[in-house]
Amino acid sequence: MSGLRRALVGLAVLALLIGFGSAALILTSDHTTPRGLATALILAAGWGFAFTGLYAWDRRPGNNIGPLMTAIGFTWFFQALQSSNDGVLFAIGTIGSTVPYAILVHLLVSFPSGRLESRIQRGVVGLAYFVTVPLQLVWALFVDPTVQTDCDGCPENPILIGGHEGIADAINAFQVLGGIVAIAAAVTILYLTWRRSPATERQALTPVVFTGGLAFLIVLALLIVGELGVSETVKDITYIASIAVFACLPFSFLFGLLRSRIGRAEEVSSALTAENAELTAELETTVAELRASRHRIVEAGYAERRRVERDLHDGAQQRLMALTMNLRLVRGKLGEDPAAAAELLDEAMTELGEATAELRELARGIHPVVLSDRGLQAAIGGLAERSPVPVEVLETPAERLPSPVESATYFVVAEALTNVARYAEANGATVRVRRENGAVEVEVADDGVGGADPAAGTGLRGLADRVAALDGELEVSSRSGEGTTIAARIPCE
Amino acid sequence: MSKSVLIVDDHPSFRASARRMLEASGYAVVGEAADGAAAIAAAGELGPDLVLLDVQLPDLSGFEVAERLAALEGNRPEVVLTSSRDRSEYGDDVEASPARGFIPKSDLSGEALAELVG
Repeated sequence: MSGLRRALVGLAVLALLIGFGSAALILTSDHTTPRGLATALILAAGWGFAFTGLYAWDRRPGNNIGPLMTAIGFTWFFQALQSSNDGVLFAIGTIGSTVPYAILVHLLVSFPSGRLESRIQRGVVGLAYFVTVPLQLVWALFVDPTVQTDCDGCPENPILIGGHEGIADAINAFQVLGGIVAIAAAVTILYLTWRRSPATERQALTPVVFTGGLAFLIVLALLIVGELGVSETVKDITYIASIAVFACLPFSFLFGLLRSRIGRAEEVSSALTAENAELTAELETTVAELRASRHRIVEAGYAERRRVERDLHDGAQQRLMALTMNLRLVRGKLGEDPAAAAELLDEAMTELGEATAELRELARGIHPVVLSDRGLQAAIGGLAERSPVPVEVLETPAERLPSPVESATYFVVAEALTNVARYAEANGATVRVRRENGAVEVEVADDGVGGADPAAGTGLRGLADRVAALDGELEVSSRSGEGTTIAARIPCE
Repeated sequence: MSKSVLIVDDHPSFRASARRMLEASGYAVVGEAADGAAAIAAAGELGPDLVLLDVQLPDLSGFEVAERLAALEGNRPEVVLTSSRDRSEYGDDVEASPARGFIPKSDLSGEALAELVG
């Protein structure tokens, strides 16, 4: 058995003994009537709170609800001392008799977490303790039970400061008012907690709110009955009703507390399920995106090969075919018409020069040699020089970067500048490439007409895929009339 | 009398060289067309004896153009297909076509043409 459980068992035995002692006190009292009912109330509520509190304490050691319920149970027995025929015990009972109500307020306000979380909560609980502990003590100094509570058989108050009945009445009035305010506030706070709680937690709180509200009404009734001179029958009915409610109260707290734990487990489980579903959906989206971009990259590869084949076919190959025919003609004319042959040879050399230039351009489109040989600075400088629109290169990293990063950066700039020349109607463009925060940031901006739609062409989407393959991002901002800026961020440690 | 020829190819440099080569070989080049539709129109209008037809045209393939030319009313020209690609790249299409034959552009000459169409 753990240390805590041993202590709790010890407290349970103590509660049992105190209960028996209290019953003995009440049953032998000269002034308590009806004795049977009083005994029942004391034992039902005292033991009820003490045992359920100890059980809650055992089940939820980290929660204050168990200790608070236990404290209500133990302090409840102070009321039994008021049945004592001994003046000192009677006085102690009088002073302590209101304490459980303050703890009850504390319990209602802090249920089910056991913590006082807001200033209002602490204020309400503070008020409850103030009216039931220090004020009760002061009141006890001035009250003469034989006079003020019409208690014929009550012993004399040994701590009485006589002759100040007015003070006792004033204090009592303040206590009644403060007590009503504190319990009403406590029930309201509990009700608000109930309203704000999710459905599962609400189920647990419902019985506590209900019996808490009922307890409030009972306390109110007891106070009113005490203040007004009502008939004995009404007093008895109120008394019996309060026994019933107070006896139920600890069990509704216990039920609520344990239910709350179950509710919390269900809530955690459903939250986990929801989070899991969200993650799965996110993952599925990512997989779908990856699949789509993989497909586009493969497709872009094929498209690129088709483009190269077409460029070769339409360009250099046609020129070489024409060259072949011209050279064949030259051979036929060499003897009979040397002047015509020379003219044909000149044409052939021009064709050859153009074919060479086209092949060079094509090769650069597949992979620019200057990029692998001399890096980004030289390659981007070359792009800027060849661009028909004036381009200012503002910044490029002087150091070499990983080859895939250099390549992606180069093609972003190349495609962006091609678009500037084709569509932007710009007077000029700027290029900036810098290495910052573990990434390469590329920006190509022009002062053209704007209005570019990244979804419309394959060029920009192909670039976005190329950049995304390196975990980077590509953004196009191109409001109509405000030029176009293409910005890419490619991770590069 | 020399044979009249229509040259169909979308590359102007090839058309110019082919015209020069054909004329040097004694053919009379009566027209040029840059795509299939223009070729069919020109053939109907000019009535050439021979059409030198590139297989890869921007609108129709040379094989389709050959079919349409073969279906023309009246004087149907002889068709010789040509391409910068090898004949093997077209499989059985050349055989199946109504064209007289195929000459790769790299082998194109008056003699090669004469061998096919006389």
